[in-house]
Amino acid sequence: MVFILGVNFPERNLLKASNTSALTSQHDPRKSLESFFGIGNHTSSRLLARFNIHPTCRVGELANKQVLDMTAVLSDMKIENDLRREVVNDIKRLKETGTYRGRRHALGLPVRGQRTRTQIKTPVKLNRMERRM
Amino acid sequence: MASAWCWSCLSRLRPTTRAVLPPPSAIPRLTSAPFHSSAVQYAPPLKKKSNSMTQLKYRQGQTLRRKKKKTRKALRKRIILSNPNALEVEGMQEISAENIVDARLRGSVLGLPVPMLDQLRAVQAFKPKQGWSIFRRPGAVVRRDTVEMGRLFEKISGEGDAAEKGKVVKKVVTGTKGSGKTVHLLQAMSMGFLKKWVVVTIPEARELVSGDTAYVPVEGSKPTQYIQPGATSALLMRTVEANREVLSGLKVSQKHDIAGVKPTSTLEDLAKLGFQDPALAWPVFKALWTELTVTAAAPGMEKDFQTRPPMLVAVDGLAHWMHNSAYRDTDYKLIHAHDLVFVKHFLSLLRNGQAELKNGGMLLYATSTSNSPGVYALEVALDQMTARQAGTKPTSPEYPSAEAYSNADPRVLDLFKPIEGKEPQMELQTLGGLTRDETRGYLEYFARSGLLREPVNENWVGEKWSMSGGGIIGELEKLGRHVRSAAIPTPAAN
Repeated sequence: MVFILGVNFPERNLLKASNTSALTSQHDPRKSLESFFGIGNHTSSRLLARFNIHPTCRVGELANKQVLDMTAVLSDMKIENDLRREVVNDIKRLKETGTYRGRRHALGLPVRGQRTRTQIKTPVKLNRMERRM
Repeated sequence: MASAWCWSCLSRLRPTTRAVLPPPSAIPRLTSAPFHSSAVQYAPPLKKKSNSMTQLKYRQGQTLRRKKKKTRKALRKRIILSNPNALEVEGMQEISAENIVDARLRGSVLGLPVPMLDQLRAVQAFKPKQGWSIFRRPGAVVRRDTVEMGRLFEKISGEGDAAEKGKVVKKVVTGTKGSGKTVHLLQAMSMGFLKKWVVVTIPEARELVSGDTAYVPVEGSKPTQYIQPGATSALLMRTVEANREVLSGLKVSQKHDIAGVKPTSTLEDLAKLGFQDPALAWPVFKALWTELTVTAAAPGMEKDFQTRPPMLVAVDGLAHWMHNSAYRDTDYKLIHAHDLVFVKHFLSLLRNGQAELKNGGMLLYATSTSNSPGVYALEVALDQMTARQAGTKPTSPEYPSAEAYSNADPRVLDLFKPIEGKEPQMELQTLGGLTRDETRGYLEYFARSGLLREPVNENWVGEKWSMSGGGIIGELEKLGRHVRSAAIPTPAAN
């Protein structure tokens, strides 16, 4: 087990999702780096390149120094709860200033001009007064 | 309207006495049988009603599960070298140190000696999709190129002509799909083992650039070079496994900066240090290479020095080394394959082989057609090499060059350019088809293995030779296999 940013990952896990499965990485427990909120394919591949780690590296193959460096960089980034808080605050600001977008968020309707006759499941599910991420 | 009754059949409806009829269980109960003239025995068997216990209900969970990923990969990559159902070919000769130059054997299939199979497996000479599994034992056909290569092996080993001893032959092997490039390399390896050379192979050039092994930048190099410890360690492992006999007989003759190397240790011990610790792999590989290419021992270490054998370096899938690798540098730019130290080392042998392989040897770098990234610059470079070999001067207008705006990789073009003022050493060997005689010998081998049940005569061989695009061996193999199922006599023929 290796700790990266306080999260424990099994050693056989891939550090990064392969390109084909990047879309499902949030649900796939084997992709370690992209399991953090705010890190996707773009960021994770650059992180790997920065520390000269090959794309199919497993968590167990990392050297100690690489783990520490990685943790140091990750802790400087705005990810996980910091990022969630920022997004929620942005929406809150929209609501408080009384903008159209804020109102749409509060009403549970699509924000960016989509039609509302059909296909608004996602905004109905997500947009509400007390938005959670 | 015609009646549904067949009137001629009605005559048979006369009741028969019970004693004449066979017991009812002896014939299948067919209600319509008496009205038709065909015999009961030709009727199709009644379909067995499927049992409700064995039949799967709609959307019932299937118990058949896909095999695990690891098992699937193992099945895909497995190499079967023998088929006990195939006939043993009588009088089949084995490849040996003596008969590799025998031109009389052209067209015959020489078996690979059983003790050598382990060595060949160790250097990964066999590939999963080759047809080794259809014959009783692995063997390869002797063709013109094989005999020529055998002669080169003799010469470099210093048996025939002493003047050629210690020469380095550098070849880029190309050819159309199925022309036997990989098997040509395999034959070279088997000759190398027979002649007690040191055989170093890279069976899949792609593995070094596909980004599947670790890479570490070399401090202070400019442009930054990268070491691949995992791949190097695998190479050392292959080399030791295959060349144990040769390496364990040679002692260390130079001073190396590697912990654990004693003056009495053999080259096998030295190489083993590398695959126990991947961090040491590259320094150990360099040390091993120096040891194998020295001509004299360092002062004070002459005691156990033995002359080093020639080396065979075989690389398969050269095109993968001619473009960007899948690795990225710290600025997220793709790293060119030539910046990987491992790749660079083996490519530099093409340029200055004589300087590197001081004890002589052979470099065989084969392209692949089944797994090739398609590098335009390499195509141009090989065309240029063909033109040079045909005698076209680089200054003449017929000399091929890269098209304007084609963005051909200059590093690749430079690699294959002749060195000014030096004899061109690198040659292009294009493998073509077998001759008709060789084709005949090869197809006879199929027949004698029991795969082919047709008389192998001049006409038939000629037909197959043409059908295979002029004796392309991969196509011939397909034909040889294909005929197997077509040649089974059908009962309907009489």
